[in-house]
Amino acid sequence: MRHKLTHGVMYTALGIVSFIFVTPLLYVTLTSFKTEQEIFQVPQSLLPDGIYTDNYASIFSAGNSFIRYFANSAIITVTGVILVLVLSALAGYGFARLPFRGSNWMLTSILMTITIPLAVFLVPIYLMEDSWGILNTNLGLILPNVAVVLPFAIFIMRANYIGIPKELEEAALIDGCGVFRTWWNIMLPLVKNGSVIVIIHAFYNIWGEYTLAKTLATKPEAMPLTVGLTLFKGEVWAFGMLSAVIVLSMLPPIIIFMIFQKQLIEGITQGAVKG
Amino acid sequence: MADSSIISRKHLSIKTLNRRKQWYGFFFVVPAFLFIFSFMLYPVVYSFYMSLHNYNYVYDTSPTFAGIGNFLKAIQELSFRTALKNTIVFSFFYFILVMGLSLTIALILFHIKRLHGLFRTAIFLPIVVPVSLSALVFLWILQENYGLLNYLLRDVLGLTALAKPWLNVGSTAMVSIIGVSLWATIGFETILFLGGLQTLSREMLEAAEVDGANGFKRIFYVIFPNLKETYILTGIWAILHGLKVFVEPNVMTNGGPGNSTLVVYQEVYYNAFNRFEMGYASAEAYILAILALAFSLLNMYINRAKD
Repeated sequence: MRHKLTHGVMYTALGIVSFIFVTPLLYVTLTSFKTEQEIFQVPQSLLPDGIYTDNYASIFSAGNSFIRYFANSAIITVTGVILVLVLSALAGYGFARLPFRGSNWMLTSILMTITIPLAVFLVPIYLMEDSWGILNTNLGLILPNVAVVLPFAIFIMRANYIGIPKELEEAALIDGCGVFRTWWNIMLPLVKNGSVIVIIHAFYNIWGEYTLAKTLATKPEAMPLTVGLTLFKGEVWAFGMLSAVIVLSMLPPIIIFMIFQKQLIEGITQGAVKG
Repeated sequence: MADSSIISRKHLSIKTLNRRKQWYGFFFVVPAFLFIFSFMLYPVVYSFYMSLHNYNYVYDTSPTFAGIGNFLKAIQELSFRTALKNTIVFSFFYFILVMGLSLTIALILFHIKRLHGLFRTAIFLPIVVPVSLSALVFLWILQENYGLLNYLLRDVLGLTALAKPWLNVGSTAMVSIIGVSLWATIGFETILFLGGLQTLSREMLEAAEVDGANGFKRIFYVIFPNLKETYILTGIWAILHGLKVFVEPNVMTNGGPGNSTLVVYQEVYYNAFNRFEMGYASAEAYILAILALAFSLLNMYINRAKD
């Protein structure tokens, strides 16, 4: 009896929490299908009267900068993720299996950066990028984003390489297979799991990144959507259109979450437990 | 040398192989290291240099040495002190709530068997939504006249007295920002706690049950004391997250009303990129980093010392 009661309490609590967590996402989706009149109606109705798609249509009308923001985000994220994957697949192997003088020191300094607040880097990065002339460019956001995600990615890849039995690569090396080819042909296919984790985390971090973008992209045409969309918030709220663009901007990470939930959780746990 | 060329590639001596591996190791690591060096390690040193100088990026041709002047100025200036106070208030409540709620949710998820996947999906989902976008959604939800929260309080639950202009009053604006931060990060901390719970050995939990430690007894005397390593981890993460809060106040309140939700990160941003006082902003950022380090070490010390 008591057992049943505690179970009831636990399920109710989780139910309420889940409801609170999903409501904002559901609400913005419902709102994106409402007319302006419905949005400003007091008291409001939760469900839209009908499926009204003009909010979505207006995104594609001339003068709407959403497409530009979305394209910037896509370019920065895709390029960034590829760079993070390649660089961490190389460096992780170097740290795991090819120690050299100074490599421990390098690894320690890389992992230490994880705990330093980004605020410390902002001024130097800004001054550097200004002197290179890459402020307000996609490149100017790709480079620091890659650097910020890399320590975690290297950590995950290194742990994955360490998990592979040493005999495998030793046999290949003694057979005359070069170091590079051993890595490419034998090791890389074995760290697929780690690569997926790295890709997903790099994707979320870069797609959702706000602080660097706010600092380094001050002109609207260079902004990714995390910063660009906040410009839609003005004296006059066009919340119907804004909710439509928010829904579209949240879709890519949510779709990937639905597919790769297991790897996302694994990545957070792995990255943390061994840290 | 002539001899070594006779040795076929198939029989490389161990020594040559090792030396070659070292060089390869260096070249495997260097590209990534260059990125991290240019955008993180060098900036850490450079902003320390900057913090000891006066440098207005618009007016000054070059930095002039100021010693610890910028640090002294920061701790005396009202806006920085307000920002520091707000950041610490935010971090304090955020820390306690995120630790308590995430641990509770993780414990429940650990115990129940049915609907596991559904609950997990709902609770983890906010992790992947860009924070600046959820801040925009919450800005609307908290809106006084048309917002969802006041609608629910006033028209659905009939609690008219509780309906408030949430973001227009200092205290409730702070509460709102803490709430949005919790919404966005509880899932992440829950995953960390679940990871910790899963490392507890089955034998230990079963032995406790045999000894008659059931339900709450088991949680308080067996599970809680054995999660120390997890507290260190989740604690450091929560401390860092609290001290570096930026997106929520920047998007939702812009530090207002008045200066009631102004945080250190915004101060740094404002001084660096609106006033272009690069030296002063660097000093403020350094104070934040030192605080983060100090609290992280304190958290580690408390959890390790009990042994």
